[in-house]
Amino acid sequence: MNSQKIIGIIWRGFPNTIELLIFSFIFATLLGLLLTWVGLRKNRLAQGIATVYLNLVRGTPPLLMLLLAYYGLPVLLKAIGINIDHWTRLMFGILGLSLGWSGYLAEAFRSAYLSVDTGQIEAARSVGMKDQTTFRQIILPQAAMLALPNIENLVVGLVKATSLVYVIGLYDMYNQASNLSNQTAGLHQLQIFILLALSYWGLVLVIEVLFRLIRRRYQWLA
Amino acid sequence: MLLKITDLKKQFNGQQILNGIDLSINKGEVVVIIGPSGSGKTTLLRNLNFLEQADSGLMEFAGEKINLAQATKSEIQMVRRKTAMVFQNYNLFKNKTAQENIAEGLIYGHGENAKTANQKAVQALKNLGLDKRKDYYPSQLSGGQQQRIGIARATVLNPEIILFDEPTSALDPELVGTVLKDIQQLAEQGQTMIVVTHQMWFARNVASRVLFFADGEIIESGTPVQIFEHPQKQRTKQFLNALADNY
Repeated sequence: MNSQKIIGIIWRGFPNTIELLIFSFIFATLLGLLLTWVGLRKNRLAQGIATVYLNLVRGTPPLLMLLLAYYGLPVLLKAIGINIDHWTRLMFGILGLSLGWSGYLAEAFRSAYLSVDTGQIEAARSVGMKDQTTFRQIILPQAAMLALPNIENLVVGLVKATSLVYVIGLYDMYNQASNLSNQTAGLHQLQIFILLALSYWGLVLVIEVLFRLIRRRYQWLA
Repeated sequence: MLLKITDLKKQFNGQQILNGIDLSINKGEVVVIIGPSGSGKTTLLRNLNFLEQADSGLMEFAGEKINLAQATKSEIQMVRRKTAMVFQNYNLFKNKTAQENIAEGLIYGHGENAKTANQKAVQALKNLGLDKRKDYYPSQLSGGQQQRIGIARATVLNPEIILFDEPTSALDPELVGTVLKDIQQLAEQGQTMIVVTHQMWFARNVASRVLFFADGEIIESGTPVQIFEHPQKQRTKQFLNALADNY
C-alpha cells in the first residue's frame, strides 16, 4: 500500500482531530479563566470549590475523563432532568477534553497572574487608575504573555490527547490509522504508524510556529 | 500649607516601622528625606499615596481631612489623582510604549481624552530629548531613559506633590546625574516634592528642607546647611560621620 493512500485515509480523521483541538482549547480556556477567577476570590468557600475541582480534574487520567463524560454524564444529567442523549460523539469528546484541560490551564493562568510584578500594579494605582482599568490595561496583557509558554505546552499536550477519543468510538486521525492497521491485518502497521506520527508532528509544528509568531509580535515582555 | 500629616503610625508583623510621624509641607517646597536603609523612609512615601495603609494618623491635603487608617475609596482616589510617584525600579508599564506610559495615566487615571493625552506625552518626550524613542517598550530602553520617562509620567499629571522613592538607586552611576538634573529642574520650576534619596549632594543643593529619618521617626529637620553643617542630634552626627568615612 503506498504512503499517499495511507496518508489520505489517516487525514480523513483530521477534521475531527482539529475540531477536538480547537473547541476543547476554547472551552477549557473559558472554564480555566472562570476557575482562576473563582480560585483567586478572598471567599474561602469559592477557593475551596476551585481547589477541589482542580485536584479532581488534574488527578483523573484524560482517558478516564473521556469515558466519564461519554458514559457517566448523560446518566448524571438525566437524574436532574437534562437529556443529552442526542449529543454527538464529537461533542462528548470536546466536553471530556475541555474538563480535563481546564484544570491545567487554570493553573497556568493563576501562576501567570500571580507572577505579574506588584510594582506594575502600584504604578497604575499611583497614576490614579482604578482597579478594573489596571486589570484590563496592565495585569491581563502581562499575565497573558507570562502564561504563553505554559499554554503552548498544554496545547501540544492537547493535540496528543485528542488521540484518546478512540475510546468513545470517534474517528480522529489515530482511530483512522488504527482501523486501517487492523483492516490490513497489521501488514503495513509500521508504515501506518510512522505516517501517523509524522501527521501529529506536522500539526505540532504548525502550533509552534503560531506561538512563535505571537511571541515575536509581543516580544516587549522578554 | 499643602499637606499636613499628624501622628502617622505603621506596623509590619508587630514591628513599628513608622512611629508617629508629623510632617507639614508647603507649596513649592522640596523636602528631601535621608537616613539609613530600613528606617521607614520609603514606607512613609507609600503611606502618603495609600500604596500601603497606615494604622493611624491624619492627613490634611488639598482642603480635605482624611483619617489615614479609614480612608474611603474616593478619598484614596482623590489623593492619588493629586499626587504622583516615581519609583526606585521605574515601574514603567512593560506592555506599553514610552508614549503610552506617559499618556495612560492621563487617560485612565485623570479622564483626559486620548488625543490631548498623547500630545502631552509626545511633548514631554520631546522635552527630554527622547521623542525618537516614543514607540519603544521599557525593555528596549536604558535604566536612565526609563527613569526619566517615569518622571515624565509623573509630571505630566500636573500633581500637587511628586513622591520620589530613591529615584537613582537602581541606576548606573554615570546615569544618576542626568536623572537628578531632571528632578532639580522640576524643583526650580516650583514643583512641590518629597524625595527619598541617598544622594547627599542632591540633598545639599536642591532641598529646601532636609529630614533625617531613623528608626521610624524624624530625628532632625532643617535646611541643608543646618543638617549637614550643624547637626544637633547625636544620631544625625553619627549617620553623617559614617557617610564621610566612606569617602
